[in-house]
Amino acid sequence: MQQDLSTSLLFHQETTFISDATSQDTVFKEIAQKLYQQELVTADFLENLISREANYPTGLDLTVISSHYPNIAIPHTESEFVKTCRIVPVKLNHPITFHNMIAPDASFEVRFLFMILNDDLGDQAGILANIMDFLNRTPKDDLMAFFQLESTESIYQFLANHFQN
Amino acid sequence: MIKILAACGAGVNSSHQIKSALETEMADRGYEVTADAVMVKDITEEMMQHYDIFTPIAATDLGFEPSIPVIDAGPILYRIPAMAAPVFDQVEEAIKNLNK
Repeated sequence: MQQDLSTSLLFHQETTFISDATSQDTVFKEIAQKLYQQELVTADFLENLISREANYPTGLDLTVISSHYPNIAIPHTESEFVKTCRIVPVKLNHPITFHNMIAPDASFEVRFLFMILNDDLGDQAGILANIMDFLNRTPKDDLMAFFQLESTESIYQFLANHFQN
Repeated sequence: MIKILAACGAGVNSSHQIKSALETEMADRGYEVTADAVMVKDITEEMMQHYDIFTPIAATDLGFEPSIPVIDAGPILYRIPAMAAPVFDQVEEAIKNLNK
């Protein structure tokens, strides 16, 4: 099912982040705290995000698209802990190890998170598909440049310009 | 009607994408398929009895041995035809073997 929110509603500059965290737990704590302060997630969000990632990892190996791309992860948890529908981009200044979503025994270093907040599994089930289409369709040189961006404003602007529903 | 059970950790995003992709592709291949998307933790042996094929994202420990064909559907999530095709082929093969 395709969702029909416009890009401007799926991304927000105030929930676009660059993190210096060096572990899953620290980056999750950092981002969850900011999301909680903005009243976008419940108090239980962090705990559930961490356990969800431990049991059902979300790392995606992008080398299958291009050997030059860094790997990403799409952390998320159940709708009941989320109060909005949006994608939270997080550039990681330091690589963090994630396990592979489609082969959980494998792990690799991840440099970018597209955290998915989804409070409506009926209407907004196409968000992951939209992320994958963005990664598949964006010209390689452009996407390489995107992963090198160093300000939350430029990351947000790139996504606003290139992300299609 | 073939019934498929798709599952992921949160029951949102991944399993819904698998449900949508399988329903669309199998319809294109001429099969009448309906899929449900659920959280892995909610799956029971009793629930599984109502389905013909189980498509988790990756190998999943349910605490019991599924009595229906299990096909890991994770590669579909990449939305790259060459990655998805082998999964679709496996599902089609399983449908044929059901002799429904």
